[in-house]
Amino acid sequence: MQVSTKWLKDYMKIDISPEELAEKLTMAGIPVENVVRADEGLEKVVTGKIEKLEAHPDSDHLQVCQMNVGTNELLQIVTGAPNVKQGQIVPVALVGAHLPNGQKISKGKLRGVASNGMLCSADELKLDIENLPVEQKVGIYILPEDTPIGVPAKEVLGLDDVILEFELTANRGDCFSVFGIVREAAVLTNQTPNLPKIEVKEDDESKATDLIKIKIDAPDLCSRFSSRVLKNVKLGPSPAWIQQRLQGAGIRAINNVVDVTNFVMVELGQPMHAYDYDEVKGHILNARRAVEGEQLHTLDDSNRLAKGGELVIADAEKAAGLAGVMGGFETEITEKTKTVVLEAASFNGASIRRTSRAVGLHSEASGRFERGVDETKTIRALDRAAQLLQDMSACTVCKGIVDVYPNPKSEVTVAFTPEQINQRLGTEIETDKMIDILQKLGFEIVSKTPSAIKVKVPSWRNDVSMMEDISEEVARICGYDNIPSTLPVGVTSQGHQSDVQNFVDRIKSVLVTLGMNEELSFSFTNPTMFDKMNVPADSELRKAVPIMNPLTDDYPLLRTTLLASIMENAARNYSRKNEDVKLFEIAPVFSPKALPITEQPIETLKLAGLIMGRREDKGWSQNSDEVDFYDMKGIVEELFDRISIDKYTVEVSEHFAMHPGKTAAFKKGKDVLATVGEIHPAVANSFNISKKIYVFEADIKTLLKYTAKNFKYEQLPKYPAITRDLAILVDKNIAAGEVKKIITQNAGGYFKDVTLFDVYTGEHISDDKKSLAFTIKFQSTNRTLTDEEADEAFTKILAAVKKQFNAELRS
Amino acid sequence: MEQKISELRQKASEAIKNAATNLKELDNIRVKILGKKGELTSILRGMSQLSAEDRPRIGKIVNEARAQIEALIAEKNDELKTKELSNKLASEKIDVTLPGRKINAGHLHPLTLTLNRIKEIFLQMGYTIEEGPEVETDYYNFEALNLPKDHPARDMQDSFYITEDILVRTQTSPVQARTMESHEPNSPIRMIAPGRVYRRDDYDASHSPMFTQVEGLVIDKGIRFSDLKGTLEHLLKEIFGKNAKARLRPSFFPFTEPSTEVDVSCMMCHGNDANCKVCHGSGWLEILGAGMVHPDVLKMSGYDPKVVSGFAFGMGVERIAMLSYGIDDLRLFYDNDVRFLQQFK
Ligand SMILES: [Zn+2]
Repeated sequence: MQVSTKWLKDYMKIDISPEELAEKLTMAGIPVENVVRADEGLEKVVTGKIEKLEAHPDSDHLQVCQMNVGTNELLQIVTGAPNVKQGQIVPVALVGAHLPNGQKISKGKLRGVASNGMLCSADELKLDIENLPVEQKVGIYILPEDTPIGVPAKEVLGLDDVILEFELTANRGDCFSVFGIVREAAVLTNQTPNLPKIEVKEDDESKATDLIKIKIDAPDLCSRFSSRVLKNVKLGPSPAWIQQRLQGAGIRAINNVVDVTNFVMVELGQPMHAYDYDEVKGHILNARRAVEGEQLHTLDDSNRLAKGGELVIADAEKAAGLAGVMGGFETEITEKTKTVVLEAASFNGASIRRTSRAVGLHSEASGRFERGVDETKTIRALDRAAQLLQDMSACTVCKGIVDVYPNPKSEVTVAFTPEQINQRLGTEIETDKMIDILQKLGFEIVSKTPSAIKVKVPSWRNDVSMMEDISEEVARICGYDNIPSTLPVGVTSQGHQSDVQNFVDRIKSVLVTLGMNEELSFSFTNPTMFDKMNVPADSELRKAVPIMNPLTDDYPLLRTTLLASIMENAARNYSRKNEDVKLFEIAPVFSPKALPITEQPIETLKLAGLIMGRREDKGWSQNSDEVDFYDMKGIVEELFDRISIDKYTVEVSEHFAMHPGKTAAFKKGKDVLATVGEIHPAVANSFNISKKIYVFEADIKTLLKYTAKNFKYEQLPKYPAITRDLAILVDKNIAAGEVKKIITQNAGGYFKDVTLFDVYTGEHISDDKKSLAFTIKFQSTNRTLTDEEADEAFTKILAAVKKQFNAELRS
Repeated sequence: MEQKISELRQKASEAIKNAATNLKELDNIRVKILGKKGELTSILRGMSQLSAEDRPRIGKIVNEARAQIEALIAEKNDELKTKELSNKLASEKIDVTLPGRKINAGHLHPLTLTLNRIKEIFLQMGYTIEEGPEVETDYYNFEALNLPKDHPARDMQDSFYITEDILVRTQTSPVQARTMESHEPNSPIRMIAPGRVYRRDDYDASHSPMFTQVEGLVIDKGIRFSDLKGTLEHLLKEIFGKNAKARLRPSFFPFTEPSTEVDVSCMMCHGNDANCKVCHGSGWLEILGAGMVHPDVLKMSGYDPKVVSGFAFGMGVERIAMLSYGIDDLRLFYDNDVRFLQQFK
């Protein structure tokens, strides 16, 4: 909502600047978003009369004007506008003016003729050009003949105003009006409002009740419907002051009847509607629910089909408008209108909100109904509108009011104690001060006893119903700045987070030390991502949770795999020539319990990592090798070591997005701890990456299940270890891991550990063989082992690998 | 004889001083004079021809000469050794301006770093860290927060719906109700709930369909608005520094009463620059929303507003990270360019 300070000043004294007023209102919960000076750029624009008009000697379309701008000498200005005539009064931008459209006016010559200013168009002054004659839309803005000469243009244009743009909160429907703002501003600046006297002379003999019948068929959606009938209506423009007030409120003037309904809406906060009485069939207006499929011909001349259930105002034949949202076409006020039915009603906010959203139309009226109007004051609005039209001799007013108000609103009272308020706020505000604030805001003190104060809530405050609301009123008027700062007292507990949270934090810090960068990506995905990732057609991963109203087609689903997200980020980096990438992310994926969705999906926390490019940063002494499978595997192994997961197995595995020969699974029994592999070249290609990419994926809950809860240090050995090297030739396709397993199983009681220190294929070895070399360590905790003991164990190991793998000892 | 010794002494002394330029030459000189076949040794050998009375005297002279030459050699030896070491060190000179070998540690995401800082501040104040599902029911996301269907305040949070009653949460506030429900009624709570939230906003420099929020909730007997104010002031000073000031403006949230929006003083211009790009000259930056928990919210989750009271607050982690790191485009957080990610520590 926007309000002109001129309008506010009609009803109260304002002796502070608009900016100061805006600050006070904002700090009291009536937020002013902007303070706009309507005269911005008009400082050096004055009214001037064209005393003489001559053709330019060197141009067909330019004319030379001698302008009277109220000074002793005439001002020579060259103009290109075709619509100017001698004797007209127009806005003149003097040298030094800086117009609202950004244009700066300086002395100059146009085809050799000096020009000391500019005649202005409406557009150049940022005026509303909608209602101007065509020639003035493109040409110079022509002022009325009786306009004084040499005065600031902003005065005659009504632009000597400052506009306050409010961004009101949803609870303060009562501030959606000039009266509402004046009420708050007066309290905040210690002024007494001077509101206009609203009175109407019922000067027509006809009785409204004889002319129109009002009915409410949907009392849950329309709590009150009041109307007046105006006869002998003379349609025409409203007086300038009304037009200017509306302009300040950002509303375009249309005709006196419509302008007055808008004026009253802005002034009092009560939206109104005017019907052409003669077009209201059966002379009845009924607030009822629309029937599904019912035709609605709205005043924008479009035919809409009702969904059913919307509140409409219908005459005897059909709906004559969507209540509170848009009027009907047939009953609109036109040149032919002689008799007007004025409506001031109260509609259900939720219903109006649904309808206006469905129609895609948010009007000044619908916004007010959504927040709730003061239904006890509909008649005041009718009287005010009738009064204004009567004052401009535009109608006669029929006797009486037709008012349907089936369940008059009961008074709301709230009981509280000052101690309760002070306790809630942490303040020591005096009782008298509280009472003073509430009274100024329109609350009435019903009773005051030592045990409680009982107040009657003003009818316009739909948001106040309990002690806590009263505490806010007191706090915001006293100022939040004046509330002290304290810290909660009472028993302090120990701060902590869950095991999962601690575990996630630990994993993150380990991965960072291992050179991985943390990414964060959106939880959304789309079906093409499944194709790019080569997800099988029947995979559960394709059964993603769909979003009913996605923002764009890019993200219609919740993701089921984190790998796709990390691939997208790798691809984005790669396309920017960031080819050395090490990323990880911990985030949930979403799997539906059933499709279509009937309950919340399962959220599973996943960990994914990705590496590609150089192993080390580029540098004079750095290794320039690219990462390979074993880098990725090493990161996972180191991670597992750091989060105390051990005694897992690593097996050959498969994954739809990974290289069939370069995929491994880290397992504990049947549980997969992590899958590690090279991204399948076809998948990499679908992300436009022509580089080898290695990834791993793990499930946080599974990792947490196997992390050792207690870690105990191992005593340093007191006795020396004995090592034996075992170098064997085995078939090329035998997995080193398998050999290691057999060594471990057959190494006897003094076995300490085994390290694979060399893998060799090539020269001196037949093509189908490879050489594996292990160092095996034996140690006792209570004595020094003998060579014989080590040899004995070694012999057993050798026998086992020979038997198992047909291994051959290399010498 | 004496003459010869004296000459030899002279000669040796000069040879040591001048001739010896390295340890090897010095050793040659030593051998030549003091060695088994050396000149002084041969003089010593010739002493047998001397008379018995001359012998001790000459012997003494020879010994003196020997000691003197040995001392000279030792002295020279030290000198040469020092020189040799310094030559060696000089030859080992490297270009110390070459960069050191890079240790390739990674980086936490700036939002994680910011969140960790926030978590740390609240953990120190005895808060627990709670979590809740990202896909929520309408009940927890809205209704339990006093936002019935068709409430106009729902417009502030355009939601991504999955069904009529299930949506991706628009705020971390549902964790409030879930936490209260998991507690004994009226038992004290001090918690924060960080997490991803989703709004149907266009993706631009200051909006994102997914972002990170931290919700806070404190419930106990006698919790006051002033406690909220003090807590938030402490938080802002911890995050933005001792000079940061907080400004509380009355506002409206259906789940709190009274409600407030909180601004922090502009850390770029401290309110001194009318053209400040960060605060646009106002000197204040909107940073969080808060208030005293609405009695209906307490009631719906089984707490009795007559017995306990509480405050709640919610803040955007992106906003705080943008202000503390001077980031001007929110999209950078979800763009994951490694050149961006690797800057944060
Ligand atoms: Zn600033």
